[in-house]
Amino acid sequence: MKMSSEPIERRVSYLGDRLRCNRCLICGKEYFEIRDYCGNCGRKSFGKMVNTDLFYEKGKLELCTLINEPTNKFTKLGSYVYGTVSFHDCRIRVPGRLTDRTGVCNEEVDFSSLEGRDVVPRFRRRYSVDKCDVIPTISLAFTFADEYYPHQEYKIIKPKKEYDLPGIVGYGVYTSRFRIKEGNIERSVPFIDEDSITAAVEAGKLALIHSGIDNSHVGKIYVGSESNPYAVKPIASKVAQVLKLGEENEDVQGVDAIDTEFACKAATSMFKDAASLVNYPESNIKYAMVIGTDNSQAAPRDCPGGELDLFVGYGAAAFIFGKQDVIAEIEGWYSCTSDTPDFWRRDGEPYPMHGGRFTGDPAYFKHIRMSSKKLMERLNLQIGDVDYFVAHQPNVQFPVRIAKELGFKEEQYAPMLQVAKFGNTYSGASPVGLAAVLDIAKPDDRILVASYGSGAGSDAYSLITTSQVLDKRHRQKMTIAYQAQNPFLEHVDYTTYRRLKLGM
Amino acid sequence: MPKGYLLIDRCNLMPIRPAIVAVGRTRFGEHYEKEPEKLIEEAWLKASMEANLERKDLEACYLSDYFLPITNKLGLEEGFLSELTELHVPMEVTRSFSSALSNACNAIQAGRYSVVLVGGIEKMTDRWDKIRDDLMLLEDPWSYYAGCTPEANHELMLRAYIKKYDLNGEKLETLNTALAQISVKNHLHGTKNEYAQYQKKITVEQVLNARKEAHRPLGLYDYAPISDGAAILILTSEEAARKITNKPVYVLGVSSATDYLTYPAREDMTHFLASEISMKNALKTAGKNLRDIQLVELYDQSTVMEMVSLEDMGFCKRGTAWHSIYESCQNYKGYYEIDGNKLFVNMSGGLKADGNPLGATGGAQIFEVFRQLRKEACERQVKPDTELKYGCVLELEGFGTKGYVYVLGRE
Repeated sequence: MKMSSEPIERRVSYLGDRLRCNRCLICGKEYFEIRDYCGNCGRKSFGKMVNTDLFYEKGKLELCTLINEPTNKFTKLGSYVYGTVSFHDCRIRVPGRLTDRTGVCNEEVDFSSLEGRDVVPRFRRRYSVDKCDVIPTISLAFTFADEYYPHQEYKIIKPKKEYDLPGIVGYGVYTSRFRIKEGNIERSVPFIDEDSITAAVEAGKLALIHSGIDNSHVGKIYVGSESNPYAVKPIASKVAQVLKLGEENEDVQGVDAIDTEFACKAATSMFKDAASLVNYPESNIKYAMVIGTDNSQAAPRDCPGGELDLFVGYGAAAFIFGKQDVIAEIEGWYSCTSDTPDFWRRDGEPYPMHGGRFTGDPAYFKHIRMSSKKLMERLNLQIGDVDYFVAHQPNVQFPVRIAKELGFKEEQYAPMLQVAKFGNTYSGASPVGLAAVLDIAKPDDRILVASYGSGAGSDAYSLITTSQVLDKRHRQKMTIAYQAQNPFLEHVDYTTYRRLKLGM
Repeated sequence: MPKGYLLIDRCNLMPIRPAIVAVGRTRFGEHYEKEPEKLIEEAWLKASMEANLERKDLEACYLSDYFLPITNKLGLEEGFLSELTELHVPMEVTRSFSSALSNACNAIQAGRYSVVLVGGIEKMTDRWDKIRDDLMLLEDPWSYYAGCTPEANHELMLRAYIKKYDLNGEKLETLNTALAQISVKNHLHGTKNEYAQYQKKITVEQVLNARKEAHRPLGLYDYAPISDGAAILILTSEEAARKITNKPVYVLGVSSATDYLTYPAREDMTHFLASEISMKNALKTAGKNLRDIQLVELYDQSTVMEMVSLEDMGFCKRGTAWHSIYESCQNYKGYYEIDGNKLFVNMSGGLKADGNPLGATGGAQIFEVFRQLRKEACERQVKPDTELKYGCVLELEGFGTKGYVYVLGRE
């Protein structure tokens, strides 16, 4: 029997996803939740209440206790620390739980060592519901600002320069702080309240912070994923609403939002669409955001398709395209497609199937070889003209083999190799490689990116960095290196990894 | 105190005094075998026999239950009660017994009715597996969404209290012991109450060990249980009371106050503003002073609540109740000694031992004060230094979202 109520869910997530609060312009009193007038000032405050989102701010954990016998909907979280979080010098106080913590049940928690510390709101699943229900979300989940996820101020910066070519104006990569290590490969694992929706929002938030653009100027959001927990319902709509993309009128965002799907190239395919859109003078769209997000799916190891379980990761990468304050201009692209069934997931099936050896030569290598060579031909580029090569990375061997085959040297392809740190993040895989390169690139570097999506196709792009790649670097605390070598990473065993991946 | 509350400044606002002429209740606890109808019937039979009244004598019914339609799928309570009693008189349903009684008092005072029934019922154990979700969602939805449990708010209140009064080291240890002593004391009282859910003694060590096992500041013995039960009283006008009994107990003062639903949004998390306002106003409407109150039934959903309520009601200064409790319980004589005055607290066993079937809980609290004031409390009868005249009751709804205080007396 269906038990949820969509209108109630809508109202709770409308307020709770962004932690909307109100401030009275007359007396300064603040309220969590939206109010039309202030309790202190009464009717004269009508129209004088301003809205803020606490989602971008830093709070303080005031009081806390341990919850080791949660209510039914929270039992999958096990034990967690719960308490009150204050914002704006205690003018506003909200309830909240600390997330991203495992194994808090059997240890003595010293509450006074936690109280008083700064915390950052995290966008997460709220609690467990039936499989047929709307997935409830909230940002009343927090992590400590001095741990894995630092607080970064979102400051809108007036653009200084308009470029001839459209390109990337900012980016953000989000992976969780959990890892599983097997052999030489470490893979990111979502916490139990995370999924491809929450990762997309977090990556988008980081991209907004890095770019410094006004979120109301984003005209289109594309989210590419092959692990959307919904068969029908876009991730992009959630991202648009939580990140307040486009102009907000009443409770609707003035932005076009769409989900795309093409295995691991669902996001990279849209780079050119986003770039073209912002370049079209009549579109009136200054910026377009593309996010590749996946809680990469794999059947358990002993089941058909289980070989993927050795490689799947979790994470999202978001890129904002525009023509102002560009950090990497798009020089050109080439895409190719063929109907090659090397990897697929039938509707209603939880895990994808995999074509074994067939996914190699006739699929991955053939398509990436084609797109990269054709693009270089088209742009009349030699191997030596390219500073960095980025390829899709389903495992450690494939990207190295294709890079070598194309003639790239280790210094050209080594920086993109991130699969051994995060696993195959599916739609986010080549974008994570690109982000790793952008993290270290100098101005005027040429980057060749070639994605691959099973089914099959590849998009190759040539990007040239500008001086702004350095100017904006200080706004990117969550770099790939930071996330890969973080002292707060927590390693989990195989059983925990499967449980966390399944989610709430 | 913040703005936005009514502080009554006129004395004796209750010139017409509603009178309680009879009370009845079931034992609280788990009653798997009994339908809700059976519970309320049992309580009614006891009260009606005491008052020698029949159903047809009732002019109206005020029933309370917190969430019976959710827990027991009974539909409209008024209809269910009408069917049970075969009465077609006006009936109203509220969430707490105190709320029902308050409405009944208003009607009696307005001269609308002269004999009414006030009843409370809850059957929580029938929904054992979902009850904590229900409780939390009704208590404070935003906290629920953030992962709160019914117990966690009590623990946060304790944390807030410890921080505000800067209690650490020996003081903190004393506070923790004092809270355990509250539970031990209430269990001791429960052994003398035939209706109590728990009629066994416990020790301070047991309370402390339960906390250790739970790895939390409060443990199993710090919290009131989940209970089934019913309680009923018959409320009449002063005139009608004289025909029924020569020992009526009068409602001398009643007041209620409200507070924010979201506990963290309240200005002060160390106590309940609603209790404080209710007590001040209830005393004023009764024309009594704090020191006139010799006996009190507090709403001890947790041991922290009993401690904090002693301060909210004004019996102890802020930040000191734990010390008075500790001093009184080191060699417990059956009462708390506060500034040289004796105060009998939760003689029924409180919610901790007597039980806490939400809609009926307030009825059991009134039941206790009624029996005590009429000197019918048998083994647990209190014996203050001066004649026992006045008692009071504090009942809360939600986590201090609503507070009710009643001042009851024989004259």
